[in-house]
Amino acid sequence: MAGGNGHEHTKWVMVIDLDKCNGCNACVTACAMENNVAFTGEEENAYGRGMHWLRVIRYWEGEWPNVRVRYMPMMCQQCSNAPCEPVCPVFATLHSEAEELNIQVYNRCIGTRYCANNCPYIARTFNWFDYEWPEPLNFHLNPDVTVRRRGIMEKCTFCIQRINQGEEQAAAEGREVRDGEIQPACAQACPTEAIVFGNWQDPNSKVRQLAQSQRGFKYLHELGTEPKVIYLASEKHDF
Amino acid sequence: MTREGLTRRDVLKLAGVGGVAAAVLSGCGPLAKHVRRHPYHDMPEYALPGKSVYFATTCRECPAGCGLVVRTVEGRAIKIEGNPNHPVNRGATCARGQAALEGLYNPDRTRGPKQRGGREISWDQAVDAVAAALQETPPEGIAFLLGLAPDHLAELVYEITQALGAPPPLRFGGLAMMEARETLTQAAEAVFGQKALPTFDIARADLVISFGANFMETWLSPVAYAKAYGAMRQGHPGRRGVLVQVEPRMSMTASNADLWLPAKPGTEGLVALALGRLMAEVAGVEAPAPFADVDPAQVAEQAEVPLAKLEKVARYAVEKSESVVAIPGGVVLGYDNGADIARAVLALNALMGDLGKASRVFFTPPAGGQAPLPPASFQDVRSLVDRMKAGKVQVLFIHGVNPVYELPEALGFADALLKVPLVISFSSFDDETARYVTYHLPDHTFLESWGYQRVQVGADREVLSAFQPVVVPVFDTRATADVLLAAVQKVGGALAEAVPYKNEVEFIQKKVADFRGRNDGIYQASNPKLFWAFFLQHGGWWTKEATAEPVQGKVVKVGTDKARFSQGDLHLVVYPHPLLGDGSQANYPWLQETPDPMTTVMWNTWVEINPMTAAKLGLENDDVVRIVSPYGAIEAVVYLYPGIRPDTIAVPMGQGHTALGRWAKDRGANPVALLGAGTNAAGDAAFAGVRVRVYKTGRRHQLARKENVVGVYGDGRRIPVTKHEAEAATSKHQE
Repeated sequence: MAGGNGHEHTKWVMVIDLDKCNGCNACVTACAMENNVAFTGEEENAYGRGMHWLRVIRYWEGEWPNVRVRYMPMMCQQCSNAPCEPVCPVFATLHSEAEELNIQVYNRCIGTRYCANNCPYIARTFNWFDYEWPEPLNFHLNPDVTVRRRGIMEKCTFCIQRINQGEEQAAAEGREVRDGEIQPACAQACPTEAIVFGNWQDPNSKVRQLAQSQRGFKYLHELGTEPKVIYLASEKHDF
Repeated sequence: MTREGLTRRDVLKLAGVGGVAAAVLSGCGPLAKHVRRHPYHDMPEYALPGKSVYFATTCRECPAGCGLVVRTVEGRAIKIEGNPNHPVNRGATCARGQAALEGLYNPDRTRGPKQRGGREISWDQAVDAVAAALQETPPEGIAFLLGLAPDHLAELVYEITQALGAPPPLRFGGLAMMEARETLTQAAEAVFGQKALPTFDIARADLVISFGANFMETWLSPVAYAKAYGAMRQGHPGRRGVLVQVEPRMSMTASNADLWLPAKPGTEGLVALALGRLMAEVAGVEAPAPFADVDPAQVAEQAEVPLAKLEKVARYAVEKSESVVAIPGGVVLGYDNGADIARAVLALNALMGDLGKASRVFFTPPAGGQAPLPPASFQDVRSLVDRMKAGKVQVLFIHGVNPVYELPEALGFADALLKVPLVISFSSFDDETARYVTYHLPDHTFLESWGYQRVQVGADREVLSAFQPVVVPVFDTRATADVLLAAVQKVGGALAEAVPYKNEVEFIQKKVADFRGRNDGIYQASNPKLFWAFFLQHGGWWTKEATAEPVQGKVVKVGTDKARFSQGDLHLVVYPHPLLGDGSQANYPWLQETPDPMTTVMWNTWVEINPMTAAKLGLENDDVVRIVSPYGAIEAVVYLYPGIRPDTIAVPMGQGHTALGRWAKDRGANPVALLGAGTNAAGDAAFAGVRVRVYKTGRRHQLARKENVVGVYGDGRRIPVTKHEAEAATSKHQE
């Protein structure tokens, strides 16, 4: 039991409504600012070494003039049956029983990069170098999140620092965590309210309600990864 | 753990050391009027080690006026969030707002007052210089050029210019140029009888037809519109609002549309009129004058859009929708017939009212009944430049705008600056304009500033949004309002009597005092001190209830002049970068690192070309091309973009800086160099009237794209994104 919220345990899930998502990328910046994600510059990014924990996939569909675009925010899906976990030789990539999240222990990571190789969502990024925040840019670094150094694998944590703080706060006040009280940075910033976060075990939570939608699907579910991110498909009116 | 990265332990260590760090970490807290430095053991009561303190303020990365709540830890600003109670953004933020901390803590900020040549001066000398300028210059020789934010500074400057008898300040900027605010305002006056920017309530609309308005990227109030867009799509069970977008280049807003109609540039107004006529026909009424004058079949042919699609949209509007809004904005107002297009589109709203549809257009009531000082039109700026060139301007003050970068070279602003004997810039950065100045007296960034913004668009009620410092100033900067007021006091006499404020905070307190008497606000205060505390705590003042009422327009006459374009092969669309805006945020590394939504390109300027056109010109992705217009030339990297007309190319504004800082300088190109200085009938820039030629240079540059990534170990090889590209890749492989 975590957080004293009366439920068996918490199971944090995210619902992303692709019909609301407009692809604006505010979540990407919000994630970086919250989690001390390093910027790497043009050359490294061209080489595929950007550190984005969250990216918005853009699909082009159709041919001129009937072109259509779809967006899909993609981050670590916090798989219940995660392909990245069994391949880590040092148990840096493992499952936390308390939060039912897929966590990365930076101090253990030796940089084999097996986990990233095995992730079907391409959600993991690797610190090829030590990246810098020239002073005083480092003043805004979040003291709740470790700054990673060279040779370390990292990825979306569902903003676990916020989850822990929220649960501690609720426990200190002797109450349950309220639905919507804990929000990862991406959900909090999202201008269209496309990203919703909550506890699956709470039958009244917004995520639970939204997940009942007939538009719901899990990305690459056929791989049996059991993701904890549920997407709601976008709709289109055909003229 | 690392040198630069801060851990909790580092924070504690830093608090003990001197200099800048100590000023920030152990400052008395932003609520005090004057900065005092305290030893670490004497921290203010609210600053507990390890505990966050939150301050409400307002975003100034664009003029929309979104409310923010900034998390600070021990005197450092850590994270920006939206203010959940704020009527504009309701808790949300855009990428630009998120990255504002990188402006505050940017290492390339101007760290103190300077003279030409970079020589440091004291603030006393700076105030003396400003005072001398105000005192010794004949009033008609003084000019102020301000940005669209903040409003309190514009109002203070207005009072000073009134007292001096000088011309009122001009408010302008690159974003204002691209938004054609004056065009929209004039059209709104004609159709709705109100000389202000209309807000379109898309959240409750069944059908939204946007003519070029990129309302989810940068247009007027993007977060408010994005919020409304989410509600429009899935906010009402069983009723999903539909979006149709008419514009030559598929913007991010258009990429979310159910139907994108890439009409031929300049014909968008005709499309609006044709849609109106078709709607009237479906409804079985006779179309009124401007709509009756067009023949839909002819328009469809002229605009190169299928008539059947127009008919389907018209039928959906009349038969399936209870409310329809038509929004004019962005690039389609940038033709020289943009004023007519704006009138045609707004008239379409009026016609929908006549057909019995509920109006979803309203005007944000001005806070306290006082509209903010309106932005200038391009025409006004051109007159200023003419006066500068004629030697009629002796002193020019510049704040919140970077005209040398943001305005077309064809306007000749930089040359005109050389004719002004005394130029004083208040920019927080060493920008392009700062190179031409006599004095550079850096203002605080907004996170260190006091002030307010009168929300003009996007809110359904009166909103006076408050700025307050969330940290003490990082560098030796000073509030521009304080510099001006100190100079006014130095001049003394009638000027000091007419502008009697001791400092910026006193000015703001006087300005907001009237709101205390209002009983419809979100809080009541028995005395001014309490009101001030509430004002800061809530992030401003607004009314409890929404007061904006939908307005009904009337159908007006619309001119049908054809748009004129310069010589060239391809139409050019220049649009504000969705993340870098007009380029003022180009030195924020995470805005450079955040992928552009449509192309996923980072850190550079690309040119969007339809794959069919590219094939004709023999161009591939990553080819460097030279783009030549009658006014200038730039080089940019090709991105094969399926969502653009084959006769059009598009380049985002925002890069191509020659100054501003390490991450912005010498990166990409500034397409504003390609634009002319022509205007439309409303006096706004006719920035979309340019045609260009594209030449292959033979050089290649690999764009950094997020879509490239095929694994953490992606080696940067492109994966084909379009059919054309896939074919090109295959044929190359076979060779």
